Formats: sequence, structure tokens, C-alpha cells
Amino acid sequence: MAPITEVEHLTNPLVTVEQLYSLQDDDRNHAENGQSVRYAQAVLTQAAGILLRLPQDVVATSLVLLQRFWVENLGQGHATADLKIASEASIYLSAKLSFTPVSPRSVCNVYAYLLSTSSSLPFIGCPPPSAATPPGPQSYYVSEGSYEREREKILLCESLILSSIGFDVHVALPHTLALTYVQALGVSSRKLVKRVLEHLNGGLLSPQLLYLTHQPNALAVAAIYLAAKEVGVKLVDGNWWEVFDVEREDLGFLVLAFGSFVGFAAAEKERWENEREKLRELLSGGG
Amino acid sequence: MPEKYVRDKTELKGLSRGRWKESEELEVSVIKGKSRWAQDEDDSAASIAQRKREKEEQRRAKEDRLRQADAQQVHPSTPVDAPGANGDVARPSKRLRTHVDTHRPGDGHATEPQLLPFPARRFAACRDVDEYERLNEIEEGSYGLVSRAREKATGSVVALKKLKMDHANDGFPVTGLREIQTLMASRHAHIVRLREVVTGSTWKDIYLVMDFLEHDLKTLLEDMAEPFLPSEIKTLMLQIVSATQHLHSHWILHRDLKTSNLLMNNRGEIKLADFGMARYTSQPPPPKLTQLVVTLWYRSPELLLGTDTYGAEIDIWSLGCIFGELLTRDPMFQGKNEVDQLSRIFALLGPPTRENWPDFRSLPNAKALHPLLSSSSASKPQPQLNFPYLTTSGHRLLSSMLSLNPSSRPPHPRSWPTRTSQRRPRPKPKEFFPTFPSKAGQERRRRRETPNAPLRGEKVKLLGVEDFARESFGAGGGILAGREEAEERGSR
Repeated sequence: MAPITEVEHLTNPLVTVEQLYSLQDDDRNHAENGQSVRYAQAVLTQAAGILLRLPQDVVATSLVLLQRFWVENLGQGHATADLKIASEASIYLSAKLSFTPVSPRSVCNVYAYLLSTSSSLPFIGCPPPSAATPPGPQSYYVSEGSYEREREKILLCESLILSSIGFDVHVALPHTLALTYVQALGVSSRKLVKRVLEHLNGGLLSPQLLYLTHQPNALAVAAIYLAAKEVGVKLVDGNWWEVFDVEREDLGFLVLAFGSFVGFAAAEKERWENEREKLRELLSGGG
Repeated sequence: MPEKYVRDKTELKGLSRGRWKESEELEVSVIKGKSRWAQDEDDSAASIAQRKREKEEQRRAKEDRLRQADAQQVHPSTPVDAPGANGDVARPSKRLRTHVDTHRPGDGHATEPQLLPFPARRFAACRDVDEYERLNEIEEGSYGLVSRAREKATGSVVALKKLKMDHANDGFPVTGLREIQTLMASRHAHIVRLREVVTGSTWKDIYLVMDFLEHDLKTLLEDMAEPFLPSEIKTLMLQIVSATQHLHSHWILHRDLKTSNLLMNNRGEIKLADFGMARYTSQPPPPKLTQLVVTLWYRSPELLLGTDTYGAEIDIWSLGCIFGELLTRDPMFQGKNEVDQLSRIFALLGPPTRENWPDFRSLPNAKALHPLLSSSSASKPQPQLNFPYLTTSGHRLLSSMLSLNPSSRPPHPRSWPTRTSQRRPRPKPKEFFPTFPSKAGQERRRRRETPNAPLRGEKVKLLGVEDFARESFGAGGGILAGREEAEERGSR
């Protein structure tokens, strides 16, 4: 009994094949590229988490919850939730569950700033040339009335998220596992660990929903494998990943996914940089 | 040395297997009635294959050794040195494929890695509450309405608890979230199982579907003609302690342990319920925890004195109160309010002193006690707990659970279950427990007035000297009674 629950604590509920298919169908039915939009929303959420001064585990939790919500809500053909509101609700929810809750007002303010023309997000804010005359704070001022309206929406969306994911808000993250594994492999160094965490955090933004398709131990092992190759740290010979209960197939898939993410992110950045207005509109609730 | 041994052994194994093959082939050729020498080419091919197989065996053994070394490697400064570096691989996945493929022609089963199977869980949207048919209401707790219901599809009887959604200003109430989160995380034989969460017509209708149990311990104790036998109490306490131990080892504080939250079925099994106050904790404990937790009668002295950093000790105190209640059928400290509660505790256990609780004076509300305690503690002898049917070790356990100083309460009485079940009286097997008519089933229950768990967001009352002065201590507050007059004068 006891050992099973211990393992359960380190695992996540995974997405089913049917859920992935219906998400794919949903993507086809929309004009806008679903992967692109999800990626932009994830980047927005991550940036908001940083501005709200939330620990990364809280931000990571909110990103995973958001992904679960996407899969379950869109896959079932429900009404498309507002991208910004869903992002706000997920970060508000995960902060509420953590030791560092935030108020709905802070959330509203941060998102208003991030989606304004003076945003610090590279592909939402105005392009650098016009930065000579930076837009003033009035561009992201939130009036009392709009705050009230937005709060209502956030709180409603919070409940929608909760019921969509069956109240399963437990998210096991691979970050601490990765640190333990690196130490167990005897290759612990600042450079390597930094790269490992970079891959893990990048994987959170990946439209491949890696955190829904693989358990944390597999994510950790793949990040270590790739980081070790990149940094030039020699790991032990032999199939060491099997010690951490990861199959070679999964490892290969994840290593490719982590490795290809850089290219994907660069392409997305370039793409949205030419369509700032459109993205801003899309995220702020046009769709 | 062990490496050598392994290699020798596998070589032997490979050889013997090879020989057996050879003799088999020999036999086959004999049966076929051909000359052995006529099949020279075939034979040499076979021997090459055989040699290959031996080599594979060796390589596999080496790999096994490596893996073992990897698993056993505790100290990171002793890296496993192995020949055949593959550090400079550009395309890891491809190279790996070939690397491993050479190892597994033929019997691939031997090299199949033994990976830990993870429990397959998935997530899905909540089902609708209409899947259940409501039968009768059980009770309205401080955190929601509980009713008995039957699942239409399967016919199984469950308890349906409606979450209260009072604090709509902050969205979904955090207490409800924590209740679901902690209940989901605690699968234990003596913790009530949360089957699923279902939704009603609006987003404010959230129901928890849990196992239905016939009794709660409080009603049972009230209705019983005689208290439980010592052997029965032992069984019950062992179950309750195992449940709280499970929670604490998973960083969960229950924060509302009391007899009415302990459910019992007709098979002598206790299940801990109502996680409405539960939350995750950490080491060191998170700062600024609310002090308004635990139903007053089961609230520990440090909470009453206003601490906002606490841990599992507050649950242990409640366990002590439950233990005492099981012995006498009456709650141990039935205070009317916070001050009365404290005075009743001190009346039974003696006031805190510098010796038994060095830092109680630094707690927020301790100033109110200061003048009262400085003299009375010295003059009065320490009162003793007195339960006639309790053994000496039982007394010792109870008084350690009810230590005023939180750090002297037993933190995780891990060894206790095994030790105590060997002592007499032995715990009664739960199969031999008496059964009782179920109150929660159909009848309306007779209710005695008991305080409810504190509400979240209630105003925290800072106890002042005046509170003590105002309170008229009767027989219950014997220790402090003498100081009352002086106090009143002092406050003017």
C-alpha cells in the first residue's frame, strides 16, 4: 500500500490517445494554428508568473494545469475559453494552492501590462524602433470597472478549469528529481544543472504537451541526457536511464523534443514579431 | 573479486549452454542418419554462432554489472569507469539503437530492463451529480451538507458532501480546494476514500463523493450504554494513529481531529474524514498559519495562546483528547470559549511552567496569563490524569500526547503500534467488534450542542487580561479562581 502511494506522489495523470486525437481535430477546425497559439499563451503565463514573483514550481504547475485544461476542454468541443482569462485563472489557481497566493488584482494588473504596447514580452510589445518614445503607464491602466468584470471572468474560468480536469490539481514536477539524478550520476556541476533546468522549463512551453505525455522521471532523465551532451559532461556508460525507469524509446523521443524546442521557439518568435497586433488581439480575448 | 566471479559464472553458463546445443545437434544429425562430417560447413557456421552467443553473454553480464554498480553507487565521487566511451555522439537516438540492437538477437527477454510500472492515471472532466440519487441527509457540518446517495449505474451507496462556497470573492474557496487535494493524496485504509468530485447545475454546486460509513464515533459514544472496552479502544486508537501518521508523513496537517470526524463502519473500522481544515505543510513550517483551526474542545494550548507557526503537534494534542474521550465517553475539555478552554486544560494538567514549557511566554496571548501563573504554579501540586481502567503505559502515552509543550508530544509514534499491540490488553480484532444500529442510515440523530470548527476568515481574537477577569471561573477553573479579584483590580 505505502510504496504505491509514494510513487503516485511522483507521477502525473497522463493524457490519453483519444484526448490527443480530439485535440488534433480541434486544431484542424480552427483557422489559427493551435500549437502557435498555445505556445504564445504559455509564454505569456510564464512571463506573468515571473512578474508576479511566483516561484517557478508554481508557474510550472499553472502551465501544466493549463495544458490539462486545453486538452480536456477543447477536446470535448466546449466553448473556446478566452486565452488570456484561462492563463490568468490557471496562474491564480496554482498560486492559491501554493504557499504564495496572489490577489486577482495583481493578476489583472500584470496581464494588462504584458498585453499592452509597452510590454516587455519580446513579441507583444512595440518593436524596438519606437522605443525612443516609450508608451506611458496609461497604456496598461486597469480601471475599477474593468477590473471587476475581469475578476468575475477569472473566477468563473477557475471553476471551469477545476471541473474540466476533475479537480486533479496534483502536479509532480521533474525539477527536483533531475537534481537528485544528477547527483546520483556523480556529475553535479552548476553548468550542467543550469542547462538541465533550462530544458525542463523549455519543455513546459512546448506545444508537444510533454508534461502530459511523460512522467517526471522520463522528463528529468531526457533533460540530463541532452544537457550532458551539450555541456560536454561524460555520463556513465551503459543504459543508465533504465536505473531511473525510463525506456530508451521514451528517452529518444524526449531528447528530440527538448532539442528541437529551441528551433521551434525561434520560428514562433519570428512569426509573431510580424503580427504583433494580431497576437495581442488574439490573446486579449478576440477569439 | 565479485566481478571476476560473475564473469566466470556467465562463461560457464554460456559454455554449458553451447555444449548442450552441440550435443543436441549431434543427436539430430545422428537421427537424420547422415554422417556428421558431411555437414562441415553448417557445423562451422553453428560454432561461429555459438561463439557469438558466448560473447553476447559476456557483454550482457558486463552491462548488468554496470547497471548494478550504477544503482548501488551512493557516493557520487566514485564514478563507474567503463571502456567504450560514447561521449562524442552527435545523434544519440540512432547510435543508441544500433548499440543496443547488437545485444539482443534471439532471446531478448534476458536483456529486457525491469522498469518500475507507474500507476496509469488519467484526468477527465467531472461527472454530473445526476449520476447519483440522493437518499437522505446525514448532517450539516461546518463545511457542507452531507447526504447519503446511491450511484445509479452501480447501485453502491455513497456519501455526497456538498462544498460550501461562501467566499465567492476569492473564487473557489481555498479550503475546499485543499480538502479535495489532501483527500486525493491520502489513500489509506483508515482515511475515507474520495471516489470522485461531481458538479451540479451551476459552478457553485460541487459535491465530493466518498465512501459511506454507518456511524461517526461521537454519536456512537453518546448512544452507547457503556464505553468501549480497553481492548477495543486500543484497536480504535491504533487505526486513528495510523491514519494521522500517514497524513503527517505526507506533509498534511488535518487540523480538525475530533470524534465526530471519525467515521466507523459495522466491521470495526475507523475512517478519518472531513479534511475541510487540512492543508499541506513544510519543514520549516510555512509562516503565518491561521491559529483559528481545530474545534475548540480539541484545540491545543499553543493554538489557544495564539501561535501562528505550528506543525503536527496540534494533531497529536487532538489525538490525546480523542483518546481520553474514548475512555470516558465525554470530551475531556469542554470549554465555553478560548479562555475557559485554557483554564480547563490547566486545571487538569497543571499550568505551564518554565521547566515543562520554556518558551510559552513568547506566544502572543501569553501576556494575559503572565500574572496568573507566576505564583499559582509554585504552590499547587501537579494534578494527575486519572483513568481507572487505563494501564500505566496507557497513562504515560496519554499524558505525553497531552503535554502542554508541543515539542514534548511524541512526534510520530512510529514504534508505538507494534509495541503497544504486544502489551496487555491485546487490541481486539476488528472482526469481533460489536455492531450498532446505524443512525446515519435513516433516523434523525439526537444532537448534543458541540462547538463547530472555526470558520475561515473569522476575526482572530487576541486574548487580553480583561478576558480572564471577565470570566468567572467555577469549579473548572480552580487554579485561576483565586487570582480573579486581583486581576480585576489590576485592569481598572
